[in-house]
Amino acid sequence: MSKFYRIGENLNVVTKVYGQAMKERNPKPLQELALKEAEKKVDYIDINIGPARKGGEELMEWIVKIIQEVVPDIPLALDSSNIAAIEAGLKVHKGKAIINSIMARPERMDGMMPLVRKYDAYMIGLLWGPEGMPRDEHERGMLTAEILAKAAEYNIANEDIWFDPIIAPLNIQQNQLMADLEYMKMLQDMAPGALSTCGLSNASNGVPDELRPIINRTYVVMIQRYGMASAIVDAFDDELWDLVDGKKPEVNKVIFDIMDGKSVDIPSMSKELQAYAKTARVIMGQVLFSDSWLEI
Amino acid sequence: MAFEIPKQIYSGAIKTVSIGKGDKAITLGGETSYPFYVFEGVMPNKPRVAMEVWDKNPGEDWAAPALEPVKDVAGDPVAWAQKCVKEFGAEAVALILVSTDPNGDNASPEAAAATAKKVAEAIDVPLIVYGTSNMEKDAEVLKAVAEACDGFNLIIGPVQDKNYKQIGAAALAYKHTIVANSPIDVNLAKQLNILLGQLGVKDSQILVDPTTGGLGYGLEYSYSVMERDRMAALTQEDDKLQLPIFNYLGQEVWKVKECKQTNAEAPQLGDQTKRGILMEAITAVDLLLAGGDLLVMRHPEAVKMTKSIIQELAG
Repeated sequence: MSKFYRIGENLNVVTKVYGQAMKERNPKPLQELALKEAEKKVDYIDINIGPARKGGEELMEWIVKIIQEVVPDIPLALDSSNIAAIEAGLKVHKGKAIINSIMARPERMDGMMPLVRKYDAYMIGLLWGPEGMPRDEHERGMLTAEILAKAAEYNIANEDIWFDPIIAPLNIQQNQLMADLEYMKMLQDMAPGALSTCGLSNASNGVPDELRPIINRTYVVMIQRYGMASAIVDAFDDELWDLVDGKKPEVNKVIFDIMDGKSVDIPSMSKELQAYAKTARVIMGQVLFSDSWLEI
Repeated sequence: MAFEIPKQIYSGAIKTVSIGKGDKAITLGGETSYPFYVFEGVMPNKPRVAMEVWDKNPGEDWAAPALEPVKDVAGDPVAWAQKCVKEFGAEAVALILVSTDPNGDNASPEAAAATAKKVAEAIDVPLIVYGTSNMEKDAEVLKAVAEACDGFNLIIGPVQDKNYKQIGAAALAYKHTIVANSPIDVNLAKQLNILLGQLGVKDSQILVDPTTGGLGYGLEYSYSVMERDRMAALTQEDDKLQLPIFNYLGQEVWKVKECKQTNAEAPQLGDQTKRGILMEAITAVDLLLAGGDLLVMRHPEAVKMTKSIIQELAG
């Protein structure tokens, strides 16, 4: 199993306490969170300042500085739709940062790809096209080709691009989760050497909070199987760490068996394995989702 | 090699639900194939048509062609229900408790329960009692109705995720069947059935109302949700969806502009009466093809056409 990179998602402007700290330029809560993420050995820390239309540049520059002050060895993923804010962050960032993200739309690619070379950064290639969300794996493939063509123009190597196929919520778009799996099977043929990442938590969006982790964990095992190299995830979900590090082979086996259509005897399993098995069946579309899927 | 017609393999079946009492009790469900695919499975209980009766005179709320056949009895739910059974061949009656709407007459649960009981006593076919989709008020009203009509095996609804506990408990206590209603979403439909099961309501006491759109106004959404419901039930053994489907379509069809516009207002659309009847009958047939087991309809002519099509297709 090759190394799985973890990008901690927790430092996000939509979280009340961190949003407030950003607004007030209060470094302490943000630095404390970064230190805690570092303890969990994340590979990158995502810094999500949202659209940040006003004052985005100054905010991003400030955050990059105060975070790298306490965790100098962990590079950051700079997350904003404000291009100037991203560049302001890149200017002061030490090490190789990730630009999160560049959509497969001409104006976004032309506006942001020059930054990749200029600052020797990675980029996340988000498969969101001029017409929005791709409907299946084939449209994802087409958008990948668009990104690759533009990247060639700007002299960006495949190895510097993390493709994000976009994860949709299980409870309303189960078929999109299948499309992401199919897409991952094709990615290395289209873009040899390219990396990949995904906003994993989106898989469980709209599901009651206490039930979300099991969906995220099951799905990460499934998509890692087809080469997904990383995910933007909750830094504090230890069980998810164990799974992507291959420390729970019995869980992987059950999930793989279900993916392969083998018959599995769910009632004979431990409670923990049952939860993974039931979730895998729902994700694969073998059982229709409902909020009580673990209880039946 | 001779050509063989490909056949769908089914691993599940729709469960049966019995409503009403005595000779005119009805059993719904039991299908082992997609609707009317009698060359692949059986449809032991053909779909049924109930007719809509309001607990108050609908007056101008109803398009004139829909009111015309019942205008002599509108305002008297007992006489209206009897007319539907005797003259129009209704196989069940759906009493809609419009007067309980808190944004309208706001009639009391007791008054509504008394009306429901009178109607139940006056007819021999099964009685459906439907509220106004106001979650809190329906919970009070349907509880009172369930108690007053103990022993009639009514069908009460709509039961939704916010009031399933109150109404479900009343249905259990007084042995009625309930209609579980969810907003055009197969996952939410399944979830509500699971919750009802956890409450102790048996599958033999549940019909599913997927929320019905009329022709030109969302019918296609209802249609595809019903299709998915049946696929999960019959080919994926999803036992929480193996339940008969209920469609309240009369109201959805007749409330739209095309049914309400008179000949004087829209001469280019042809005859209003004929148009409304056809729109209702076409909606009904589409819902039957998607899996409807019990339809609540309004116009006697549309009912007649629908029943004859059921007869032709199901034999």
